[in-house]
Amino acid sequence: MKFTLDWLNQYVDIDGFTAEQLAGHLTMLGLEVDAVAPLHQELAALKTATIVSAQPHPDADKLTLCQVAVGDETLQIVCGAPNARAGLNTVIALPGTTLPGDFKIKKSKVRGVESCGMLCSERELALSDSHTGIMELPEGTDHGQSFISAMGLDDTMIEVDLTPNRPDCASVIGIAREIAGKLQRPLRLPVQDARVDCASRKFSVDVESPELCPRYAARLIEGIRIGPSPMWLRNRLTAIGLRPINNVVDITNFVMMEYGQPLHAFDFDNLKGGRIIVRQPKAGEKTFTTLDGIERQLSPDMLLICDGEKPVALAGIMGGMNSEVTDDTTTVLLESACFNPVSIRKTARKLKLATDASYRFERGVDPDGVCNAMDRAVQLFCEIAGGTAENCGHDVYMGKLPLKSLTLRISRASSLIGVDLDADRITALLESIGIRCKQKDADTLWVNPPSFRVDIEREADLVEEIARLYGYDNIPVTLPQVSLSYPEQDQGRLKRSAIARSLTGIGFSEAINYSFTSDTYLDLLQLAEKDSRRRFVRLLNPLSEEQGIMRTSLLPGLLENVDRNIRFQMTAVRLFEIGKVFISTGDASQPAEITRLAGVLAGNRYGYSPPLHFREEDVDILDAKGAVEHILGQMRLNLAASPVCLEFQIPAPAESEPFAAVGETMQIRHQETVVGTLGRIRPEVLRGFGIKHNVCFFDLDFDALCNLAAAPKSFTALPVYPSVKRDMAFVVPAAVAAGEMVGTIRTSRDPLIEDVCVFDVYQGKNIKSGFKSVAISVTFRSATKTLTEKNVEKSNRKIVDLLAEQFGASLRDA
Amino acid sequence: MEHELQSLDREARQQLAGITEISQLEDFRIRFLGRKGQFSTILRQLGTVSDTDRPRLGQMANSIKKEIEELFESRQEAIRQAAATAAEPASLPDLSLPGRVQAAGRLHPVTQIMQEICTIFENLGFSVAEGPDVELDYYNFEALNIPPHHPARDMHDTFYVSDSILLRTHTSPMQARIMENSQPPLRVIAPGKVYRCDSDITHTPMFHQVEGFLVDRNVSFADLKGVLTVFTQKMFERDLPLRFRPSFFPFTEPSAEVDIACVICGGTGCRVCKKSGWLEILGSGMIDPEVFRMVGYDPEVFSGFAFGLGVERIAMLKYGIDDIRLYYENDQRFLSQF
Repeated sequence: MKFTLDWLNQYVDIDGFTAEQLAGHLTMLGLEVDAVAPLHQELAALKTATIVSAQPHPDADKLTLCQVAVGDETLQIVCGAPNARAGLNTVIALPGTTLPGDFKIKKSKVRGVESCGMLCSERELALSDSHTGIMELPEGTDHGQSFISAMGLDDTMIEVDLTPNRPDCASVIGIAREIAGKLQRPLRLPVQDARVDCASRKFSVDVESPELCPRYAARLIEGIRIGPSPMWLRNRLTAIGLRPINNVVDITNFVMMEYGQPLHAFDFDNLKGGRIIVRQPKAGEKTFTTLDGIERQLSPDMLLICDGEKPVALAGIMGGMNSEVTDDTTTVLLESACFNPVSIRKTARKLKLATDASYRFERGVDPDGVCNAMDRAVQLFCEIAGGTAENCGHDVYMGKLPLKSLTLRISRASSLIGVDLDADRITALLESIGIRCKQKDADTLWVNPPSFRVDIEREADLVEEIARLYGYDNIPVTLPQVSLSYPEQDQGRLKRSAIARSLTGIGFSEAINYSFTSDTYLDLLQLAEKDSRRRFVRLLNPLSEEQGIMRTSLLPGLLENVDRNIRFQMTAVRLFEIGKVFISTGDASQPAEITRLAGVLAGNRYGYSPPLHFREEDVDILDAKGAVEHILGQMRLNLAASPVCLEFQIPAPAESEPFAAVGETMQIRHQETVVGTLGRIRPEVLRGFGIKHNVCFFDLDFDALCNLAAAPKSFTALPVYPSVKRDMAFVVPAAVAAGEMVGTIRTSRDPLIEDVCVFDVYQGKNIKSGFKSVAISVTFRSATKTLTEKNVEKSNRKIVDLLAEQFGASLRDA
Repeated sequence: MEHELQSLDREARQQLAGITEISQLEDFRIRFLGRKGQFSTILRQLGTVSDTDRPRLGQMANSIKKEIEELFESRQEAIRQAAATAAEPASLPDLSLPGRVQAAGRLHPVTQIMQEICTIFENLGFSVAEGPDVELDYYNFEALNIPPHHPARDMHDTFYVSDSILLRTHTSPMQARIMENSQPPLRVIAPGKVYRCDSDITHTPMFHQVEGFLVDRNVSFADLKGVLTVFTQKMFERDLPLRFRPSFFPFTEPSAEVDIACVICGGTGCRVCKKSGWLEILGSGMIDPEVFRMVGYDPEVFSGFAFGLGVERIAMLKYGIDDIRLYYENDQRFLSQF
């Protein structure tokens, strides 16, 4: 909602208050001011001027040589306008001034004669399209004044961001009422308590759908002369961003902004039978052409304004092409009505047609204000459009509601707000904005909200008004008195947060990607038709196809991030995301929301660690595996002795992730359930994301991990006797998995074996081809004694034999 | 024996005083203090002295040996220090080099701020709960007093999945979900992602909110002011001027938007605060009796307040981030700053 200070001042005296002060008051009344903008600042340098004498230019037929008075100076100006004549008051742009359109005025010579500036037309000042001549200012305008102040253009526009509950403030009078209450000054209304005293015989009004049209009033204005509106009216409209059209349309727009009541002017000569019928479309009425020339599809639940034969307007939204006011219109039927908000909203949405009128009707127009606005417009038609109006008209008010009457408990208001209020204080506050109160008993008031406050229906609404008018700033600041209770925390969230922190410790940064993505990624990942990640949820109204579906995997987002980081010359990318994926469970229900934890690694293994200490080398799948081992370790899901110990397994080719490189992918399993995968992404998949580097990934079902029983923390006594470590290098066929050798030793059930690990794997010189050397370190310890060389040797021998038997391993010669 | 000990003591002290090189130290140690050194030799002779003298001499020998050992150690340290000081700088570590540590990653700034917010409210005794992103129209709108065709739906540019299922436009549905399943007193916050079909420099179609509410007997608007004042002071780590401004939300009444004095200009007016000196950081209000009725609470018995705050906005204000789109590009140069 926009208005200007000068306009506001018509209804309430704001003398003594600056625009900023008034804006502050409005904001603190809940009418948030979005902008305070002085108007016509680009015209601030212009001056008023009077042409003292005008003679033809000696060398040009169409030019006039004017002597122009501007304050104390008299300047010579060459002017091409036909209306340049002695005695005319007009506007001058002196040399140095810049006109709209970045047009700089300079002293110049026109056909050999010096010209010290320019006399301007309205179009040159961007005030209107008029360019028939220079502006003619009213007689008696002093020259040498600031043009914008002389013309009343030095106004300030204020824009208020209205909340949907305050349609009454979608009008300058509504804003003025709030200011009047705040400043405790009277509200001045141009028209009030208007009504239609007698029924016109020149036309008729029938309302066939009173539930959709509680009130319909109309009056007839004859002898209208269509033309441009006077300057003051055009200024009002342009100041708030409306384009002046002609006097009739401008008046209806002006009064709508003034009273908040949308009006519509029909060309009466186009209304067949002199009738207005308010009804819903008939069976055959499928389309209707609105005055913007667009054919609209009608549906039976919409509401039409019709004449004796046909629809002439979409009720409350827009008039029809067939009855619009034109330059030839002489008789206007003016409609001022009130329509059902929900019906207007449905129609406006269905037709995707939002207008200033529909905005107001959707939110609720004051049914009791219909005639005031109508009479105000009729007044203006007569004053500035040459019209004459009969006293009569029609006012069909079938939806009149009884005066609203609410009870308000003073104690209730006080305790909800947290301030001690009494009846007098509350009454003074409410009555300042026209809400009448009467004391019923010690604790109760009878309250009558006025009809324009469609939002006040309950005691709670009154409490809000009281708090607002009392001033939120004046309400004290206290802390609630509550009983102590333990705040339970969401366990999933706590685990997420712990794992996220621990991943940062191993060099991963956290990414957050949009929950929506493109379905083309599913193809890029080469997912099979029956892959559950193809059971996505599609948005009905996405912003773009790239954000058309809810994600079913975190990887596409992370791969986009990899691409971006590489493009910006990052030499190492390590990102993880913990977020939801959405798997459809059918159109009728909410999808399954599953929290997953995924990560990507590319480029340098040690990230941005000092290259002096950490050599630069590319990541491989074991980095991804290490990250997952870290996660499982943090979650205590990989301890051999615990109830749940997750395992890494190499999947059968058919079960592998389709986007993972063959032979470079693993599954993380709990018994038969796969809870995650990791691997290296195939280069052709990465190409689809624009990535030329190696990228490894892991992707875990975080919810599933959280649901597994973590190994409880429990103490094991520290060993008393020393351990003995033996390092052995075995030569095995190259295909043997070193991890299996370790596993075999671990599960050999020799109680002396405390720990086994691989410390080197080597292929090449000194090892015959097709074989590799696997160096294993075994730690032996007894819980009951210090081990002797003999004990260790016996265990060692068993290991050598076991590996020889199972893997064909032989001890490598030292 | 006693005499021998005394002369050994003297000799050792003299020798020690003359040592200037690290190499001489080891010779000294072997000669006097080693397993086959002179002190050990004397101590081994203790067995040959009379029983009456043995304790005294033993004690004397040990204490002399201990003194010499201490002297040796301090001499050793002094010589090493001297050597280090005298040495060529090149033989010392170059301390201007970076420390040896593997680089850590960072949490996303949104996560960091979200955790800060949650911690402040947890410390005030609020529990934390989460709910679905893909929500029913009922919880997102109707249970919050926003029936179909209510103009307030215009305040939410909603992504729809079907007629009755949508992407939640705020975290407020958690109010209804939690109240439906529990009885007051309640103190809960609900962080999460929310969605609006809107995208420009100041809006992303997905962002994060934290919803909070408190329901009990006799809760007042003044209490709302109190809790949110504590929150903003803790969040911004100073006593920022606050402004509670009337506003409208269908599920609260009275409703208030909370502004803080602009953290960029301090309240004098700048580009960020659109010259107003204030920055809006959250919406709040007393829970509407209609919302209580819908979940079966008696609004005559219970009252409460609710609030919702935008995490990205708070992060922008706290860290001076000027483009909201940076949050979802996951550029490591951005992430590494927080």
